[in-house]
Amino acid sequence: MPTDAQATLPPPLAAIRVLDFTHVLAGPFCTRLLADLGADVVRVESSKHPDHPWPSTFVSEDGRHASYLNTNRSKRSIAIDLKNEAGQKIAARLAAVSDVVIENFSAGVMARLELDYERLKATNLKLIYVSMSGYGHDGPRRNWTSMNMNLQGYSGLMMVTGAEGDPPTAISNSWNDYIGGLHACFAILQAIDQRRKSDQGRFIDLSQFECSAAMIGSLLLSSAVNRTVPSRRGNRSDRHAPQGVYACVGTDNWCSLCAETDDQWNALTRLIGQERWGSDRRFYTAADRLQNHDEIDQAISAWTKQYSSKEVEDRLRAVGISADRVRRINEVIDSADSGTAFSRMAERRVGTMLTTTLPFSLSSVTLPASRSAPSLGEHGVEVLREWLKCSEAEIAELKRREVLQ
Amino acid sequence: MLRVIDLTTLTGAYAARLFAEQGHEVIRVESPEGDELRRLAPFLKEQRDLEHSAYHQFLNAGKKSVTLDVASREGQNLLLDLLRQADVLVANCPLPVDEELCQAINSKLVVTKIIDDAPELCAVARSGLMSLTGHPDRVPVTLGGHIPEMAVATYVAVATAAALLVRNSSGRGLIATVSVRESLESFIEQAMVEYSFSGTITERRGSKGAITAVSGALPCKDGHWVISQIHRAGRWSTFLDWVQDPELSADPSLAEEANQHKRRDFIMERLHAWAKRFTKTELVEEAQRLHFPASPVSTPLDLVNDPQLLARGFLTELDHPEFGTINFPHGAIASVLGKQLGAAPQLGEHNAEIFAALNYATSKIGRATAGK
Repeated sequence: MPTDAQATLPPPLAAIRVLDFTHVLAGPFCTRLLADLGADVVRVESSKHPDHPWPSTFVSEDGRHASYLNTNRSKRSIAIDLKNEAGQKIAARLAAVSDVVIENFSAGVMARLELDYERLKATNLKLIYVSMSGYGHDGPRRNWTSMNMNLQGYSGLMMVTGAEGDPPTAISNSWNDYIGGLHACFAILQAIDQRRKSDQGRFIDLSQFECSAAMIGSLLLSSAVNRTVPSRRGNRSDRHAPQGVYACVGTDNWCSLCAETDDQWNALTRLIGQERWGSDRRFYTAADRLQNHDEIDQAISAWTKQYSSKEVEDRLRAVGISADRVRRINEVIDSADSGTAFSRMAERRVGTMLTTTLPFSLSSVTLPASRSAPSLGEHGVEVLREWLKCSEAEIAELKRREVLQ
Repeated sequence: MLRVIDLTTLTGAYAARLFAEQGHEVIRVESPEGDELRRLAPFLKEQRDLEHSAYHQFLNAGKKSVTLDVASREGQNLLLDLLRQADVLVANCPLPVDEELCQAINSKLVVTKIIDDAPELCAVARSGLMSLTGHPDRVPVTLGGHIPEMAVATYVAVATAAALLVRNSSGRGLIATVSVRESLESFIEQAMVEYSFSGTITERRGSKGAITAVSGALPCKDGHWVISQIHRAGRWSTFLDWVQDPELSADPSLAEEANQHKRRDFIMERLHAWAKRFTKTELVEEAQRLHFPASPVSTPLDLVNDPQLLARGFLTELDHPEFGTINFPHGAIASVLGKQLGAAPQLGEHNAEIFAALNYATSKIGRATAGK
């Protein structure tokens, strides 16, 4: 969203230092939210295992995938060898002057690097330390490895999506990474707020699995009480009818519609040439229409198949029925009336690129503009000077011993 | 502890719940007839009344409920009095009270308003998310269980928490504006990046993933399981040692990630045939032993007794006066903080408590809370 023209206040996370050990997507997505809210995010990266959120077709000259440019923009990078004791010490010293440490390794990895909460807390009581592994750091699944698709399956998303009898139905993006990242961001913002009064940091052991399971918490609760599997509704509503997605002219073109009121239903019957249904007892109320949804769907499909999805959308809207064609990715990005979540930013490697901006605004607050993602280790020296007041001799020594890369 | 006034629909109710999980006081303000959340199926014990919607029981857990007819003058006055003593108002647009008026009566109030709301199915179709969901030879679908609106609500929680930080350092209230449309679109980010850099249009892939070549749900002896084969040196040969499929082993070029992507449907078909001989547990335990990301595919009913959700306190056993002993889902933030939420309130359960604290005479409350 565009920022407020009369912005006068600093961003929510002004002067907050985030030491970012995260990799792939859930963690880096969270720290990008923090950067967009004004935090100084420093990524601790490894030259041996260059990170990317997912493999992109485009890779820049300095080895950054398009996915990295988008996910890790507006952050700084320091490259330290964490397998090396001196590297671990530098990381611990950075953590001692950080507000937030965040990592999404499997449980136990940070302890092996001597960078777990118990150790770091000793030198920084105010530290907010966030772990966001797949399953959390305790419980019988704590050592399970997981990726987005695992969590889509395990958290129930695949079995509440689609219609009764469908195979598991997924969304082909890293949905759970975003859900986990947003929950982590919320927990961090609240922990910072509470720290103002208590002067105490805290350990936040978030489980991405639980974030995803919470998304279907209502259906989990109904299963706990009713001891049945909730029915899969496909595109239908429980409250009104008809509602669905209908095939239009061409290959794989569709339009959604929702008739939420009797007036909309009557308008629909006239539009699709079924006026006689207006007085048919089988379709009188929403409950009646829910009962006879299949028959209604057939008539709607027969009508939608004559037109393009855009025409169907226009004709439905013209008579007051909520309708939206199913937009493919290219259409969302390229249409003038959509894709507003994305904006063009200057990116030094490629000139300009589209990036996601926060889908919210804060009145009278200036949020920082997006900055190019860092090259590996680009800000190592600058961060050691700023955060640790390291001398030139000390930095030279760290470079010589290849602790700093 | 903050006081949060919750006047939201499905795109915001989970946000207010997250504040309850954090330990804040959340007051849900409803019309005297009870709001939409109380009317959403499924219903607990199949009782179709205002107290048994699963959505109400989950999303309003840990909140208080007061009833107000915001259209009446008395109702407006009561709401304003509530807002005078509140920290946050989170509400869908149109707001029941003018935002300038909110700020005039309480200069420290954070107002989070949710804009661009539309019927969920249409909003998901428009956002591009629907084009990514469903089976390629069938109709595209929305995510079930109102997951898209729940996801929007996590942005509402983030925006509100961010606004609170600004308020607490500036001493001044402010307005956070969250767009439902932009929130939903933001979730296609991955596909946006690939399209804008290389023109690739991501499409729906049924039970399979679009990002990792070998990734998706497959049938097995007793249901479905999910395997993701991370691409890393040496992993493919370990994987083949486990799977022992002659056709996969016959093609050494499949060790390359690019070739796995090209032939991902073939690989998944071979795994499909192989996995049918085993149970979920056998497959998942062996995969995890070999450090391959694998998991069962669960229905919500499977999750009710999940050992991981129980071990961490996401679920705890609760003796409910009406439902008996059930495993209650407290939430991901409650689990982190070791908190348990109380049951969802009955309609208007806290009218006396809340309005008495505002020094309202009982007779006056009666008029404003009863509706027309």
